[in-house]
Amino acid sequence: MLVFAFLFTTVLLAGVDALERKIQNRGLSVLAVVVVILGGIGTFIGSFISQMSQEAVEFSSRIDKDTLTHEFNTLVEKFTSAMPDFLQNMQSSDTDLAGKLAEGIDIVAGSLVSMAGAIGNFMFIAVMVFIFTIILLAEYHVFRKSLVNAIPNKYFEVGLKLIYNIEKSVSSYLRGQFLSAASVAAMSLAGLLLLNFFGANLTLTIFIGIIAGLANLIPLIGPFVGMIPAILIAFMNNIGNDVAMAHQLFGVIPSPFFLFDIILMFLIVQQIEGNLITPALVGKSVGLHPILIMIALLIGGTILGPLGMLFAVPATGVLKVILKEIAFVRQNAHLL
Amino acid sequence: MKSAKWENIFKGWNRTESETVLTLKQVPIFKDFSDKEFAELEKLIHQRKYGIDQFVFKNRAPGEGMYIIMTGSVKITIGTRSGNENILAELGEGDFFGELALFDDEPRSANAIATEDSALLGFFTQDLMTLQGRNPVLGQKILFNLGGVLGERLRGTNRLLIKAQTVKSE
Repeated sequence: MLVFAFLFTTVLLAGVDALERKIQNRGLSVLAVVVVILGGIGTFIGSFISQMSQEAVEFSSRIDKDTLTHEFNTLVEKFTSAMPDFLQNMQSSDTDLAGKLAEGIDIVAGSLVSMAGAIGNFMFIAVMVFIFTIILLAEYHVFRKSLVNAIPNKYFEVGLKLIYNIEKSVSSYLRGQFLSAASVAAMSLAGLLLLNFFGANLTLTIFIGIIAGLANLIPLIGPFVGMIPAILIAFMNNIGNDVAMAHQLFGVIPSPFFLFDIILMFLIVQQIEGNLITPALVGKSVGLHPILIMIALLIGGTILGPLGMLFAVPATGVLKVILKEIAFVRQNAHLL
Repeated sequence: MKSAKWENIFKGWNRTESETVLTLKQVPIFKDFSDKEFAELEKLIHQRKYGIDQFVFKNRAPGEGMYIIMTGSVKITIGTRSGNENILAELGEGDFFGELALFDDEPRSANAIATEDSALLGFFTQDLMTLQGRNPVLGQKILFNLGGVLGERLRGTNRLLIKAQTVKSE
């Protein structure tokens, strides 16, 4: 929780400091920044839920169970017929995919109850993080100064440098991540609108874009998670639409519900982000070897799940800075 | 009628300056600063206490910034403490040292040792960078004043050099 609060503080600190210099009151600055952030998140979630429920109502009014089953069966047939012969022989005789899907939906409904519990838990943690963040934002410089004051004279300059370097690496990493997430969100939005132009009939494009941007914060796995909402929406909106079913990517590859179009679009966005934008914006802010990043992700994911993955890289970056300073101190120990 | 509420409201009016600001006002690097600027600077300055004979920094150690003497005194030396110690300068209240470290990454060129219990104010490269980002006008002022101080020192060194050369040629 404290780690989250610290990261949020790092992101918001610059804003609070700038505002404080303008209005000469730290309390009010913290309040203003927090209100703006909460307002933004509230508006986003609120309008997302209202639009989503609208979509769901429309979807359920349009589709009944039989149509869904029918759609699925045609889809399965279409795929089967498109497959080469030897692959057709390899698949199991049980083609009741729709039945399996219905079973799956039952399981999802059952787990909604346990999800409610998880949401309650999440809300508690979120409120705690929120409170910690406000305290840290208001008292950051006081905390920092008392931390610096606690360093013994012998290690004072080295300790101060260590604190500066940690702050620098964390904030530059976060700034880079924020910028690359924003760029993914913007490019995904543009891509989705482009697909709509060709008749993909996608709705909630802004939300899909933002979710893709946020998911992109998790290295390696995030980009694929970001595709899921777009695919779901494409499926929901186009079910029962024969044109969308028969759609072909570049007029060659069968791509029902624009499925492969969406995947291709996201792949292009990720390539632009990964090869052009991130190197230019983030540069070597953390400077970790890809293998080290992967190991960090594995460890973070095992300990804390997706959130652990989100923070694995900055945490490893901080660890690297600390180890580097310790090595430096050991090397210069006789001079301290 | 005296009310605690009114006293509180007007408390800030006759606020006396902190010891830190009073010390900073003696330093030429911070000349022509307004009270508001001193207040901003005070937030970045670190106050440290050193006991008698304690090293502030050692020769050849990596340097991060300058120190201003608030109370007490500091000697600047080369060589080891026992035997061949060569005292370059003895500094008192309001004096400052180590300012070269604000500009370069070179290691310290001398030892700084407290000669009595001293309170020093530390101002470091990163603080200067932070200030430069937050308030470029103030950062500019400090850099300009620092340039002036260094120029003054260089002029002093030149004078000594000329003097030494004239003595040699006579």
